[in-house]
Amino acid sequence: MFFIQIILMSLRGLRANLLRSLLAVLGVIIGVGAVISAMSILEGTERDLRERFESLGSETLMVTPAVARQAGRAGGLIQTLTVEDAEALLDPKRCPHVKAAAPEVSGMVLAKNLSRNTEVTVLGTNEAYAEMFNYRVAEGQGRFLTRDDVASEQKVAVLGHEVAQKLFGNVPPVGRDVRLKGIPFRVIGVMEQKGYIGFRSVDMQVCIPITTAMNRLFGIKRITGINVRADGAANVGLATAEIKRELRRRHDIRLREGAQDDFNVMSQEEMQRQFSDVTKIMGFVLYSIAGISLVVGGIGIMNIMLVSVTERTREIGVRMAVGAQRWDILKQFLIEAGVISLVGGGLGVVIGFGMTDLLTTTTENLVRTHTSGAVIAYALGMAILTGVVSGLYPAFKASRLDPVEALRYE
Amino acid sequence: MSAKPIIEIVNMTKLYRMGDSVVRALDGVSLRIDEGEFVSITGASGSGKSTMMHLIGCLDRPTSGSYLLAGERVDKLNDRKLAEIRNRKIGFVFQTFNLVNRTSALDNVILPMVYARRGGNTRAMAMKALERVGLAGRARHRPNELSGGERQRVAIARALVNNPPLLLADEPTGNLDSRTGEQILKLFHELHREGVTIVLVTHEMAVAAQAQRVIRMKDGHILEDRRVDHEYRQELLASGMRATLHDHVLERPAVVEDVP
Repeated sequence: MFFIQIILMSLRGLRANLLRSLLAVLGVIIGVGAVISAMSILEGTERDLRERFESLGSETLMVTPAVARQAGRAGGLIQTLTVEDAEALLDPKRCPHVKAAAPEVSGMVLAKNLSRNTEVTVLGTNEAYAEMFNYRVAEGQGRFLTRDDVASEQKVAVLGHEVAQKLFGNVPPVGRDVRLKGIPFRVIGVMEQKGYIGFRSVDMQVCIPITTAMNRLFGIKRITGINVRADGAANVGLATAEIKRELRRRHDIRLREGAQDDFNVMSQEEMQRQFSDVTKIMGFVLYSIAGISLVVGGIGIMNIMLVSVTERTREIGVRMAVGAQRWDILKQFLIEAGVISLVGGGLGVVIGFGMTDLLTTTTENLVRTHTSGAVIAYALGMAILTGVVSGLYPAFKASRLDPVEALRYE
Repeated sequence: MSAKPIIEIVNMTKLYRMGDSVVRALDGVSLRIDEGEFVSITGASGSGKSTMMHLIGCLDRPTSGSYLLAGERVDKLNDRKLAEIRNRKIGFVFQTFNLVNRTSALDNVILPMVYARRGGNTRAMAMKALERVGLAGRARHRPNELSGGERQRVAIARALVNNPPLLLADEPTGNLDSRTGEQILKLFHELHREGVTIVLVTHEMAVAAQAQRVIRMKDGHILEDRRVDHEYRQELLASGMRATLHDHVLERPAVVEDVP
């Protein structure tokens, strides 16, 4: 009963000095809002990254050009990878743990169907790409690239789900032409909706044979990477070693003579680890900001509690006269501080939701957020903790008052 | 007259440090008050009566001397024990009522029971206490919605709710007009008849004269400790500042009607 009475009393006190209370808890409101937004962004980003990496599959390896290093400084990419490198990795004698390899080149291109056009990513690759990432052709909508398409440099295209929608609407695109950079390509298939594979949004992507892409569309001799699938997640390490050995042999890189690799091989796990470092730093920054806001909020609470203790000196004296222990007084002010900050925290949750929502809308879902119940509970917990810690000194001060002095206070 | 003592003070001294000098607020006071007595402590400001009130009320500890309250030695208790004693053995009535303004009359009366950690139906017990002082109908009102007299009645109900053996009143009529003051004093008389021991601290001789016994203080000493008879009452009234205002009450002290 004591507990409930104190809570009711502090709420009444809050209402009696509405503006003052609001100003005092403003810090907590902002602090909790910041905590909620920070955690939502962080959790959203982590989920996003996790899903993206999971979409690659744990058996996936990426071979990419190395960054040139001159006197310790980062330079451009060393573009030495070729389609032949990708094919060589499939040699079961040299790379027994490589199951599939899909080389790729890509670029942004304007795609056109009659009067409709849209900017798409053209991915030049081979027949292995779709299966490697479990990326399927939509039901009854043609087929993916074949070995023949790649070998004979066919001008055929497989459209991503959204590309098909944008360029063809309700008309089935298979069998029709799409113009990429003005060059007509026959649509041979439309892919199912997928979202993304790794960091590529494949629904806005058009897949064409890598040979066609290099020779007819982009006019380049080097590829931008090789997607490799190992024959089982446990063999990723072995496959990595095999790929490195084979590519060094092919590129004539002698490490013993001080040469450096002109390529990188990275497993999905390694990529994920690198990004988790990034999210850790991001988290640290966001939490610091949120933490500072809460500290400021705590100062606000401490201030109002000190004022409250001074204003109510006589009341404290009366309570002591009728038998309140010092501990009762301490408890009362701590609970009040907790209640005040909980109210602030509640408002902060609302603000936090608003800020999170605003962020998602203004960035058009580029920043993904996720506000879980645990986040809200954590933020409210932090608010109460802030309140109680800030209330500690004022409450202690109140509990140490001399009853005679307190009763005499005007 | 029952001879069971409720207050036994022997050679009590209280020193205050005021800057560099030491003030001797109480200087070796001894005093005994028995159960069921109605005693006034009076004196000019600076006489030591407030210090006496604080010490009797266990709001403070004496510098030296002993104090037995209802048979319990209380002069050297720690804060925790003192709070417990105040809660169980003393009911306070103050000049300025000292109600908690943010809560209802009823909640104010419940407060001592809350600190006593009393179970049971505290609301019903508080209501009973309010009935006793004739304020049952105002239980839901906040102190600022009550008149001065009503507030003081709430304070008296609060003082009585834990059934303490001692009611300690500090200038209970000081903030009231004379008629309301009379009503409060009448209530004290009623409570006294019901067996409550009352110690009333006041500087007004006319108020002090209401008691059975008056203790006059000066400079930290007891100047005079005397039973009140008709003659002494006249003497006190003559020396009192507001004597005339209270004359007619004294002629019929127990039967003042509440004016509707």
